Amino acid sequence: MNELIVIFLSMALINNFILVRYLGLCPFLGVSKELGPAVSMGIAVTFVMIIASLATWLINHYILIPFDIQYMYIIVFILVIASLVQVIELFIKKTNIALYSAFGIYLPLITTNCAVLGVTIINMMGSYTLLESLVAALGGGLGFTLVLAIMAGIREKLELADTPRAMKGAPIALITATLLGLAFFGFVGIV
Amino acid sequence: MGKFAQEFAKGLIITNPVLVLLLGLCPALAVSTSIDNALGMTLAVLIVLLGSNIIIAAMRNFVPSITRIPIFIVIIATLVTVVNLLFHAYLPDLHETLGIYLPLVVVNCIVLGRAEAFASKNPVVRSIADALGMTVGFMLALLMISLIRQMLGTGEMSVFGVHFFSLPVLSSRPVAIFILPPGGFLVIGLLLGLFKWTGVLKR
Amino acid sequence: MPAKDVFGRAFPVILLTAVVAICVSLLTYVGSITLPRIEALEVQKIQGMLSGMFPDMSRYTFEDEIYAIYSDEVRIGYAFVAVGKGYGGAINILVGLEDEATIKRITVISHTETPGLGSRITEDLFTGQFVRLSVDDAALRRDGGQIDAITGATISSRAVADAVRITAVEKVKVLEDSEEGG
Repeated sequence: MNELIVIFLSMALINNFILVRYLGLCPFLGVSKELGPAVSMGIAVTFVMIIASLATWLINHYILIPFDIQYMYIIVFILVIASLVQVIELFIKKTNIALYSAFGIYLPLITTNCAVLGVTIINMMGSYTLLESLVAALGGGLGFTLVLAIMAGIREKLELADTPRAMKGAPIALITATLLGLAFFGFVGIV
Repeated sequence: MGKFAQEFAKGLIITNPVLVLLLGLCPALAVSTSIDNALGMTLAVLIVLLGSNIIIAAMRNFVPSITRIPIFIVIIATLVTVVNLLFHAYLPDLHETLGIYLPLVVVNCIVLGRAEAFASKNPVVRSIADALGMTVGFMLALLMISLIRQMLGTGEMSVFGVHFFSLPVLSSRPVAIFILPPGGFLVIGLLLGLFKWTGVLKR
Repeated sequence: MPAKDVFGRAFPVILLTAVVAICVSLLTYVGSITLPRIEALEVQKIQGMLSGMFPDMSRYTFEDEIYAIYSDEVRIGYAFVAVGKGYGGAINILVGLEDEATIKRITVISHTETPGLGSRITEDLFTGQFVRLSVDDAALRRDGGQIDAITGATISSRAVADAVRITAVEKVKVLEDSEEGG
């Protein structure tokens, strides 16, 4: 149990995907302008991360390792993720139109999100058990969502502030990320 | 020849992948802690981007649109795996430093982006120019960032073990923040702001 | 359905399969060249670490995941890899044993701990505490052992100490079992 807590906190805060590992930056700059879409994207990413971790763990342990083709993991993992995203998108479209309009549109972007492929690789390289992988994905995704939400909240206010013209948009967002990253440093000693 | 040079030059400044299109940020920030790493990553991206642009441009006329994305992914993933294996076997130190960011080249927005936006619609030779231009642009952006981060964050200027010089005050008391993650955001944010302000990048 | 029509509908799948087949073959080929070399580099690395740990080593054997170290014909110790679960993931540690109850030395092979904090587990100040330590004492002081954790990196320190102790106990049992059986 203790180990799981360490993994969760490590993935969510101490080694936060966006601020420390630099994973998931594309949506970070693109979707963090408003709170609503930011949280939707975050939840969608978390969901995909968990399912992808499950699928890739099973494939890694029952196919790649036994057949000694672990070096092919890159192709296998990314195809799994791409297919998963397609399936999830179709499923949501067919079953819950409301949900689809909420965050179904972000799903195609998630395929190329470094955070999703990233967590599956982290799980593999850390030799995490299935439970540990799922906890890692949950932690990573929630940490990702948290940072996205905070950024969105800040950027909404930034829109109204008097930013120098050259810094408007991406530059000031990145400076904000610097400060957020520094703040998150405080988590380093929490466990 | 003019067309080739034109496509090539595009990637350097006007549509610099990192600084203008804001693509490929993940590896850009992660490996820019030192010039060695930046160059190593550039080599990886060069092989993958060049390879994928050539292959996809060569295949562009007979790939049906439904299977476009899966085929692109398989090709790019294969190239990345080849690079990963080659680095692991012949450049083990680089492989270890690049770590997780090497396999992540497969979802690097630059590679997939150019495949989608350019190579699938343009002839092979022009796609080569595009790949080279984008890679050089990527390299320039990375070098700029890592130069600043390495000098301020360690105070020393050394490339591949060859020590060039040490900065007077900084080498004994480097500003560590630049080597740490927040520093990456800071440097690229300031660089972007600087470029927009001086009008080098018109956005 | 006219044959051309069928072919037209099936073409995407055929192409995709062909592409996958070509790619997999290419990878298998590249793999056959690089994987042996990667393996050789690994062996070289381990060998280097083992002789660093046991300067008098002349040869070693590897059985049941345990290295037995020999100097000429005398066995001077054992070694094995312990894996600790730290902050950032797996911490790989090479543990050298003088005998069944005493650690000779440990070397951290690889880790992804926090730079400046957890990464200090590689420093002599920390690993030196394991030299000639009894296996039972390989735990943090606050856990009843003899190891002082690195300030601000309790988790990383504990991961190392516990991994060393637990794996050592495990390996010693394996050795004793095989001695009884063989």
